[in-house]
Amino acid sequence: MNNRADDDETTTIPKIDRLIHEPARLTIIAHLYVVESADFLFLQRQTGLTWGNLSSHISKLEAAGYIEVTKEFVDKKPHTALQLTNKGRSAFKQYRQNMKQVFEDLPK
Amino acid sequence: MNEKINLKEIRRKAYTSYHQDGLIDILAACVILSIAAWTILDMVWLLGWMSFVIGASIYAAAKRALTIPRIGFVKFPQQRTKGMLTALVALGVLSSVLGLVAFMQVEGGTTPTWLLLAIEYYMPVIGVSVAALFSAAGYTFRTKRMYAYALLALVIFVPGHFLNFPLYYYLLLLGTLILLLGLAQLIRFIRKYPCSATDTTGDSSNEQ
Repeated sequence: MNNRADDDETTTIPKIDRLIHEPARLTIIAHLYVVESADFLFLQRQTGLTWGNLSSHISKLEAAGYIEVTKEFVDKKPHTALQLTNKGRSAFKQYRQNMKQVFEDLPK
Repeated sequence: MNEKINLKEIRRKAYTSYHQDGLIDILAACVILSIAAWTILDMVWLLGWMSFVIGASIYAAAKRALTIPRIGFVKFPQQRTKGMLTALVALGVLSSVLGLVAFMQVEGGTTPTWLLLAIEYYMPVIGVSVAALFSAAGYTFRTKRMYAYALLALVIFVPGHFLNFPLYYYLLLLGTLILLLGLAQLIRFIRKYPCSATDTTGDSSNEQ
């Protein structure tokens, strides 16, 4: 039954990137999309996600190659910069287009 | 929710939160107040620029010490900043050329009409120039209160044409008002965002 539901969903809403579609990850990507790079604390303040939640979603996005995580020392303190990769940027653009298409195609 | 993601709003919020610490206001106020001080001492141009350079270094240090530990670090796309720097350099070159032309004409025995007009209406000219600088800062940093400062500069300097107070009175008034507003902004920022107990690594081992 689940498979059938999935099939129906994929025929109705094709090509939606489920990794981006999750609300927390979508918020993270949208916030990184408008800046060049940001650190964990900035993203946490902007998105309102908890530290652990943010960290877990960042790991998933990094594993997919959507986000680049750079660890460095600034003034002898560990600092992690997060940046959307070209792949992530293109995926987000595509996601927006697809979502727009989905809503435009819905009957009124 | 997804179709309502408003990137413009997210961008505006990111800029606003990074510049809500009031440091840029305090820097601008310090530059204006130091120009006022050096106007009194008649060394305005050289030391006005020096105070800007020193102020910018202090601004960067204050940003590192006060803002980044509280709301984190973000790097914005540089298009607007580059545009602003290009405009400032162009303005500097244009002013220098105009100054040189005016100097040569005055030395040659004729004072150009535009220079006479600029001297006669120097208060509105200064007001418009300061307002233009604040508007450019508002555009670059996407900070609405800079436009309010631009308006404040016009309100202070333009009536100055009809009053006979020395220039530094107006500079002191504008600088003091902006300094007070900047300090209020800074206090509000520090209260709103206490220093983060976590570091900025995002490692789960560092979670508190």
